[in-house]
Amino acid sequence: MPTIYIDNKAFEVKAGKNLLEACLSLGLDLPYFCWHPAMGSVGACRQCAVKVFKDEEDTRGRIVMSCMESVKDGLRLSVNDKTATTFRSQVIEWLMTNHPHDCPVCDEGGCCHLQDVTVMTGHNYRRYEYKKRTYTNQYLGPLVNHEMNRCIQCYRCVRYYRDYAGGKDLNVFSAHNHVYFGREKDGVLQSPFSGNLVEVCPTGVFTDKTLKEHYTRKWDLTNAPAVCQHCSLGCNVIAGERYGQLRNIVNRYNSEVNGYFLCDKGRFGYEFVNSENRVTQPLIRKRQSEAVNRATLMQHMSTLLSGHTLIGIGSPRASLESNYALMDLVGKENFYQGIPDDLVYIEQKIVDILLSGAIHTPSLKEIEQADAVLILGEDIWNTAPVMALAVRQSVMKTAATHTTEQVAIPLWHDMAVRELVQDAKGFLANMTVTASPLDEISASTMRAAPDDLARLGFAIAHILNPSLPEVPDATDAVRTQAMNISRALQQAKHPVIITGTSCWNNALVRAAFDIAAALDLTEKRAGLAFVMQDCNSLGLAMMRSSSFEKAITSAERSSNVTAIILENDLYRSVPAGQADAFFSSCKNVVVLDTLHNRTTERADVLIPAATFAEADGTFVNNEARAQCSSQVFMPANSEVRESFKWLSEIRSLKTTAGNGHEKHPDEILQALESKFPQFKGISRSAPPHDFRFHGARIPRESHRYSGRTAMQANIDVSEPKPLQDDDSPLSYTMEGYRGPAPSPLIPFFWAPGWNSGQSVNKFQLETGGSLKGGEPGVRLAEQTGVTPVFSRDIPDAFTARQDKWLLLPQYHLFGSGELSVYTEGIASQSPAPYISLSRHDAERAGLKEGDIVTVKSDGKAYSLPLSIHGSLPDGIMLVPAGLRGMDSWSWGGWVNISTVKV
Amino acid sequence: MGRKLLFDKAHIEGIRYYDVYRANGGYGSAEKALKSMTPEQVLDEVKKSGLRGRGGAGFPTGMKWSFIAKPEGVPRYLVCNADESEPGTFKDRYLMEFIPHLLIEGLLISSYTLGCNSCYIYIRGEYAWIPDILEQAIAEAKKNGWLGKNIQGTGFDLEIYVQRGAGAYICGEETALIESLEGKRGNPRIKPPFPAVKGLWDCPTVVNNVETLATVVPILRIGGDEYAKYGTGKSTGTKLISACGNINKPGVYEIEMNISVEEFIYSDEYCGGIANGKRLKACIPGGSSVPILPANLLLKTAKGEQRMMTYESLADGGFATGTMLGSGGFIVLDEDQCIVKNTLTFARFYHHESCGQCSPCREGTGWMKRVLHNIEHGKGKMSDIDLLWDIQRKIEGNTICPLGDAAAWPVAAAIRHFRDEFEWHVLHPDEATKRNYGLAHYADPLEIAAPAAV
Ligand SMILES: Cc1cc2nc3c(=O)[nH]c(=O)nc-3n(C[C@H](O)[C@H](O)[C@H](O)COP(=O)(O)O)c2cc1C
Ligand code: SF4
Ligand code: SF4
Ligand code: SF4
Ligand code: FES
Repeated sequence: MPTIYIDNKAFEVKAGKNLLEACLSLGLDLPYFCWHPAMGSVGACRQCAVKVFKDEEDTRGRIVMSCMESVKDGLRLSVNDKTATTFRSQVIEWLMTNHPHDCPVCDEGGCCHLQDVTVMTGHNYRRYEYKKRTYTNQYLGPLVNHEMNRCIQCYRCVRYYRDYAGGKDLNVFSAHNHVYFGREKDGVLQSPFSGNLVEVCPTGVFTDKTLKEHYTRKWDLTNAPAVCQHCSLGCNVIAGERYGQLRNIVNRYNSEVNGYFLCDKGRFGYEFVNSENRVTQPLIRKRQSEAVNRATLMQHMSTLLSGHTLIGIGSPRASLESNYALMDLVGKENFYQGIPDDLVYIEQKIVDILLSGAIHTPSLKEIEQADAVLILGEDIWNTAPVMALAVRQSVMKTAATHTTEQVAIPLWHDMAVRELVQDAKGFLANMTVTASPLDEISASTMRAAPDDLARLGFAIAHILNPSLPEVPDATDAVRTQAMNISRALQQAKHPVIITGTSCWNNALVRAAFDIAAALDLTEKRAGLAFVMQDCNSLGLAMMRSSSFEKAITSAERSSNVTAIILENDLYRSVPAGQADAFFSSCKNVVVLDTLHNRTTERADVLIPAATFAEADGTFVNNEARAQCSSQVFMPANSEVRESFKWLSEIRSLKTTAGNGHEKHPDEILQALESKFPQFKGISRSAPPHDFRFHGARIPRESHRYSGRTAMQANIDVSEPKPLQDDDSPLSYTMEGYRGPAPSPLIPFFWAPGWNSGQSVNKFQLETGGSLKGGEPGVRLAEQTGVTPVFSRDIPDAFTARQDKWLLLPQYHLFGSGELSVYTEGIASQSPAPYISLSRHDAERAGLKEGDIVTVKSDGKAYSLPLSIHGSLPDGIMLVPAGLRGMDSWSWGGWVNISTVKV
Repeated sequence: MGRKLLFDKAHIEGIRYYDVYRANGGYGSAEKALKSMTPEQVLDEVKKSGLRGRGGAGFPTGMKWSFIAKPEGVPRYLVCNADESEPGTFKDRYLMEFIPHLLIEGLLISSYTLGCNSCYIYIRGEYAWIPDILEQAIAEAKKNGWLGKNIQGTGFDLEIYVQRGAGAYICGEETALIESLEGKRGNPRIKPPFPAVKGLWDCPTVVNNVETLATVVPILRIGGDEYAKYGTGKSTGTKLISACGNINKPGVYEIEMNISVEEFIYSDEYCGGIANGKRLKACIPGGSSVPILPANLLLKTAKGEQRMMTYESLADGGFATGTMLGSGGFIVLDEDQCIVKNTLTFARFYHHESCGQCSPCREGTGWMKRVLHNIEHGKGKMSDIDLLWDIQRKIEGNTICPLGDAAAWPVAAAIRHFRDEFEWHVLHPDEATKRNYGLAHYADPLEIAAPAAV
């Protein structure tokens, strides 16, 4: 490790970094704007100036930009040198010449990087006495607000939006001090990663429009570390509350998972928590007064329990604690997954693979660092957005690493690297049913039915390991593609294969496994990543319970069934016919959920459940990382409780014994772990509820939280006692331990002098590196070196059938989420329901775009307009999955068109 | 009459066209180079000639060419910088407009030397009519076997493309020019990597000024050693000077770099003296970016020696008492000219032309413009002068590309040498608005003004 001298003190620093990164990693305060840990340096803002000296004798030195100079052994620099500090404050003075100084009405105020740096440099007196330049703002859609006057021209937004995230509709226009950052004309930002602009922009140019609707300063929020609920990646988020409302979501840095960025669904899809449609009161239906209190509910529940056959339906979006509490209540054999058999089958395959230890499943960070990626079947842009962003980084970084190896240019030198790389890209093969925005950075693409994609996979596996069976009757095109892909995978050091469940096809999972395992035998560290459907799909699957079909059978067998359905709208999870069949064979239906939906309509007893924001809960993401999502606020309405609390209370009705002690979530996890070895270690995913620092808890509120003594004054002038949280070491106060908390318990990023999110530097071992004390979460599946058992079972080639179509779901980043569409800005970007066929199929059937087509799925008829799909293979019908109000269809089955209305 | 190497045949009727150019010995140097010399031999001649880049910085051309990387299988590019947008500079325009074949011949020889098979002329957008002239000359040259495949049977191929800029001064900076050629926004790049290693489309690239490339023709005609005998010291050969301002004969002159500034201004061969019988007040001898000098320091160095029209002599005394030859845009100010106004004009230009990438230039230039505007319009304060000085000091040397310096130097020099004129504006606001010219006494020999601060 090189030694550098900063203001005459020796420090050991990491080679390959620049001086800014070195200084920040050492914990020094050095201001910057245009540098970003995920995007490197461009040396534009000139804010990070330091002085470097030739040697010990040199006293004059020269000003350099610390973000543009590499660490060199023996290098001497000064951060505190007078010329350097005056220059840095001069830069702020320049930037401030045009800044509107409207902090009091600016949404960024209090978490503003520009404020941080201004104070840090000491600039305070304005010498510029002229009119400021002004701009016209743009309408950028329902999620991101634009206020260009605040811009300090650091270029971070365009570098993030275009270079990092691949967006096209945001750019820099004009010149000199009138450069403009926006779109060519007003309009909705097209990138589903646009929300990160809010955090990337160091000022209040881009701010969160949803927050604006119920604005609260960062320092007034009650925050907690949470986990995103909208897909299986489990991105880490910080959620903030005030006055009983969830106010915003910001990124919670986790170097292994989401790094610095979220997708827009994750960032903005929180409004369901505040929805009018929330279930707020226990209901017992078919009574004169349906709304009941807790005691009446419990009385009623005890009658429903005794003498009835209990069936529990678990949920891929409920926490492990709640799922386990339900299993504990109804008994393992009566607990079902609440998802169809086909999906359970595929998920079991995935669980088997992951738990076998035969293969390594990569984190998102490892996917970013992969040097060749094969996507087999999964439309990750829509089903796992941040993974698509990670794949993009892999493609860009591989090319960059490749070119910078030849010239002595460090990877952080973003501008030079981009010039060197030009249009070169790393290897990505995107083999999916339909086109995806990832295609434009793919070296190879294929549009085919899932079985054919799987066959391509098996063909690749065969080339990699000729002892595996050859794919019979493979076409030349498939052979060539298989050859090219296998060559690229073989040449890579860290190839990654991605597949998932959204094609409802298990052959894809098996083929992907055979490829990864074959690569592994050639001494590479290949990664196999799976994408699941919901935030706890893998956690639920790891409990290895039966499918919903089995639940129907068992309900039909008994005449006296009380079904307890946990946070699961069955009409979205299983075909509507099956849901109906199930309900008609149950005598009593008890539903715990957060929002009214079609399943809650079928409930005889409806119990209000807490959302993730009001609950502690553990979720297992797609890489089998168990992560704890902490309660952000206690619902004012005491009838809204975590499902596991309700379920434990209901369970206590069954047992006469018991000391009345409510189980803490960590205790539930311990029970889970002791029952199921596959969950071993899960109780370590967060410190236990009684963890303390010298007796102190970690406050959810900042020390500047305001109004505590007044905010309830309309109710009671005396200050209320702070709420007691017995379930976690976090407290509902401003007081407590303010030092470095264990990473799963960091409620928000803040450090003295760093009010903005950039304070995350202070929590990392090095800039862009791990959090001090390691990343939150426990991985439940690691490679153990077990010899893989290849699948070898190759499906037949897909053949289009006469007048029948293979029914596949199309997931939409905006629209397919059950909860995220409660955010109006997401719902408004959701497509309208449609039925898609290939152009050729539509022509053959004599159908035109927009014709109303009626299709029967699982006994139900659906009429929707036809949308002709350019890139869809023949023989497949594509229907958007999970749009608001749409049933789940029998995905993976065959359907025909019954009628057509022109 | 001074000796000429570039304009020696400029007076010949029809020299713009191939036939006349060829009949007068045109393409002789190219023929010599391509048919009887290796690229290394040509490079040697250029090195021997001592030719320095005529685009402004005066970097030795032979040395620049020898830096070009030669990786296997990667094309190399020659880019001719015809963006000529520096206020006061219009020499390349003349050359391209009247003797376009001289440039094309120079490009041919240079491309041969560097091993480039594609060459781009990036021309200032406002020179709207010149691309046609160049295109026509290129077509003529092609028709006569001087461009295209297998040139004159030598096996050497070359295509020349003319690309028009869109009117941004910054696109004359070589890396911004390359960005612009690539179809991107013309923002300068940070060096390294240098264009000679990674330039246009990531390939080794040499960017040279029009005049530099045209000069290769006479160098090959007379030989590098012979060329080096022209001029003085390290300022070898001849230089095009575009003279303008309050002189009797504005225009583009080819001078041998052995005459004095005084001769250039006052002799009838060149500027013909100050117009309207006025006295010389100041001069910006190398285009708007170089420091302005008052008459006394212009004609004689601080050491009392005669100031010559050479790189070295003009730079004598550093920025304290000297200036630069720059791009040869020679702007003369007579006793009626107001330095504050002149400085404001330049400041406005640099502000407008800043690409907006780095903070000091983007914000500093606009600020300086406004302060100057106030002083010029009788609204200035004494402290504004120090403020100006402070702003330019912080810009200089702290920007990504030299435009920042180019914006800072004129302001610095104006304050350094004409501080009392700024003070006069502040102290006489009413007069300053009515009388649009400055103090006249700089025409008289004066003590050397002390720099305001260092
Ligand atoms: C702001 C700026 C503008 C420039 N404009 C021109 C120009 O118009 N023409 C030119 O030849 N060089 C210009 N240059 C210099 C070029 O960057 C480059 O040094 C030159 O083209 C090299 O050619 P030479 O070695 O033949 O002088 C400019 C430089 C800067 C910083
Ligand atoms: S909009 Fe924000 S991120 Fe973009 S340049 Fe301006 S200050 Fe920087
Ligand atoms: S990628 Fe998934 S987990 Fe991450 S923010 Fe988006 S929806 Fe949430
Ligand atoms: S100095 Fe001016 S022109 Fe040059 S890069 Fe910076 S802002 Fe652009
Ligand atoms: S952070 Fe170094 S120049 Fe902007």
